[in-house]
Amino acid sequence: MKRTVERHLNILEFTLASLLRRRAKNLSLLAMYLLVIFMLASLQFFVTALKREAALILTDAPDMVVQRLTAGRQDLVPDRYGADIARIKGVTAVRPRLWGYYYDALNGANYTIMASDDTAAPPGAAIGAAIAKARNLQIGDLLPLISYDKSPVMLEIGSIFPSSSDLIAADLIVLSPADFQQLFNFPGGQATDLAVTVRNPKELPTVAAKIASQFPDSRPILKSEIQRTYQSIFDWRGGMTLIVLASALLSFIIFAWDKATGLSAEERKEIGILKSIGWETSDVLLLKFWEGLVISLTAFLLGVVLAYGHVFFLSAPLFAQALKGWSVIYPRFQLVPVVNAYQLAVLFFLTVVPYTTATVIPCWRAATIDPDAAMRY
Amino acid sequence: MRRSLQFILFTAVTLTVFLLLPLHARNAQHHREAPVPQLQSLHVTDLCLATEARYTRHPAVADSHAPFQEHPLALEHFPTGALILPNIPGRDTK
Amino acid sequence: MIELSGITKSFNSGKPNQFTAVDNVSLTINPQQITVLKGPSGSGKTSLLTMIGCMARPTSGRIFLHGVAAAVPFQQEGVDSVEITSLPERFLNDIRRSTFGFIFQQFNLVKGISVLENVMLPAYPTGERRSDFRDRALDLLEQFSISRHAGQRIELLSGGELQRVAIARALINNPAIIIADEPTAHLDSKLSQEFMAIVGRMKGEGKSVLIASHDPIVFDSPLIDRLVEMRDGAVVNSGSPR
Repeated sequence: MKRTVERHLNILEFTLASLLRRRAKNLSLLAMYLLVIFMLASLQFFVTALKREAALILTDAPDMVVQRLTAGRQDLVPDRYGADIARIKGVTAVRPRLWGYYYDALNGANYTIMASDDTAAPPGAAIGAAIAKARNLQIGDLLPLISYDKSPVMLEIGSIFPSSSDLIAADLIVLSPADFQQLFNFPGGQATDLAVTVRNPKELPTVAAKIASQFPDSRPILKSEIQRTYQSIFDWRGGMTLIVLASALLSFIIFAWDKATGLSAEERKEIGILKSIGWETSDVLLLKFWEGLVISLTAFLLGVVLAYGHVFFLSAPLFAQALKGWSVIYPRFQLVPVVNAYQLAVLFFLTVVPYTTATVIPCWRAATIDPDAAMRY
Repeated sequence: MRRSLQFILFTAVTLTVFLLLPLHARNAQHHREAPVPQLQSLHVTDLCLATEARYTRHPAVADSHAPFQEHPLALEHFPTGALILPNIPGRDTK
Repeated sequence: MIELSGITKSFNSGKPNQFTAVDNVSLTINPQQITVLKGPSGSGKTSLLTMIGCMARPTSGRIFLHGVAAAVPFQQEGVDSVEITSLPERFLNDIRRSTFGFIFQQFNLVKGISVLENVMLPAYPTGERRSDFRDRALDLLEQFSISRHAGQRIELLSGGELQRVAIARALINNPAIIIADEPTAHLDSKLSQEFMAIVGRMKGEGKSVLIASHDPIVFDSPLIDRLVEMRDGAVVNSGSPR
């Protein structure tokens, strides 16, 4: 047993010496490999955590949202619709929602404005952490917004949402319905859309059908549809995911190709020398196996660990940059860490195993040469 | 210490950190911050991922033809439209 | 003692381009002596050496190793001969590693690693403790006065120094028999003389040395014990001990 361990350690020693010989080449190979795994693992962590977050947040979403369409575009919903829908069998509650967007000319940002008559909340407007940062606001400050008739609406900041709730509220301003109507000159008796609660979730499609037939210009959106949006949001068919996956795959093919297209004459000669001084075929194959494993295992472990740090400790700056687009207000992706062992195992088997195999297999022929061939060099 | 032992040690350390990641994740999940009650009462339908355009801010409730809103030929106006896919009904046959 | 009985090595047998490298050679090589195989290239010297050194198998014939039992781990009690021609690959390898040390015409040292590492290489797969063979390697370097080059890459060494590294490497596993194929082919006269002196020392330490050479400095050397002449794969003069 001890002899086996010593043998492995000795051969590993030679592997490392061998790799260090072409230090620059092997370091850059390791770096590239690491980068590929880092990107793939980061993407995996990010998307999985985001999907989980969405699933958690959207459990609170309304059972159904009813919009009204005019000429194909979203229009305001009269309260009358709400009253009629409330009478449909199975509907327990209808809540008209007042919300919209505000464009802040000062910094080119878009805010989401929602009206809420939640009496338990602290008085004054509540704003998201990103807005507080962008406009340098603290509790008690006044935020002037320009209403439709160009007159200012002064909002006193009553509370600021914590940065950990950025994924819901980074760009959010919550005010009273009265302030909302004043700001937007919003007509009374109308709502942006209606939030409908249904007693039995299984009846949702039936209720939706009834609403659609009763109000042909309505567009009911079910909770399941809302949730599904976010489960497929970073589908591999989408832009960013596709680009990252495609480039990773391409890099991988390049590595494996370089290895799999056989040995250089120098490598072949070296194997011949090893065979001639007493190394068996199995020793040579072990050498090549270690060579592949040293690079791929190091790249994999480091890549995944760094990816975890990148996404969950640094809030994924690389992806945040991509997702930012032209947004002026954007959330900090303080995601709750999620590790999906299955996905990591797949990543392992798609990267470490092929690379190690691609390093060992081409040497098979060279490793089995008769040692006496070395005498004839 | 000879090279091979250095490497084994290094790998052991990274492997340990690697194996601790799920534990850290589970721990973080348990100590998740409680949601702000005021936000819960809002019953939002969308996550705030990008605030450039309506259909990237509220993709779940955006107009179904929203990507073409600005100009009939403008296939994409905002960069994040390329990242956040619209919710086309019937696209996922689940 | 090495006993060869009717050794033949032919390539492509049965085909029109059949080539016989070694033709029915029977020879006894005495232990603790310096034996030189003399002959022009193509005379079968190298082929014979590879077969004796457990690197290749003869087409027909038998090779016996007598008195090397101590080096063979699986040997039965009380029997001190091994017939190597019919041994399975693994055992053949074991014997080769523990009994023979090789010095090649081109030295065959590994570029890019240190002298010390080159010398230690044959010991790596044996599973021996690194500190043990490292000490032995350092001793050997000391013995051949090249200790100061221990950490250097071999590309930086002169011809004579490389020769000594190659010899040190051949000795790392403490073999009983040293085999050298045209060792002086790339050396000048002075270094060739030095080589023979080292060979003489090895004999003094109880090792057997087998050299194939067409260099007069080797086969005319007063140090050698036996000269075997070969031509066209056959022994033409099995030489008398001097």
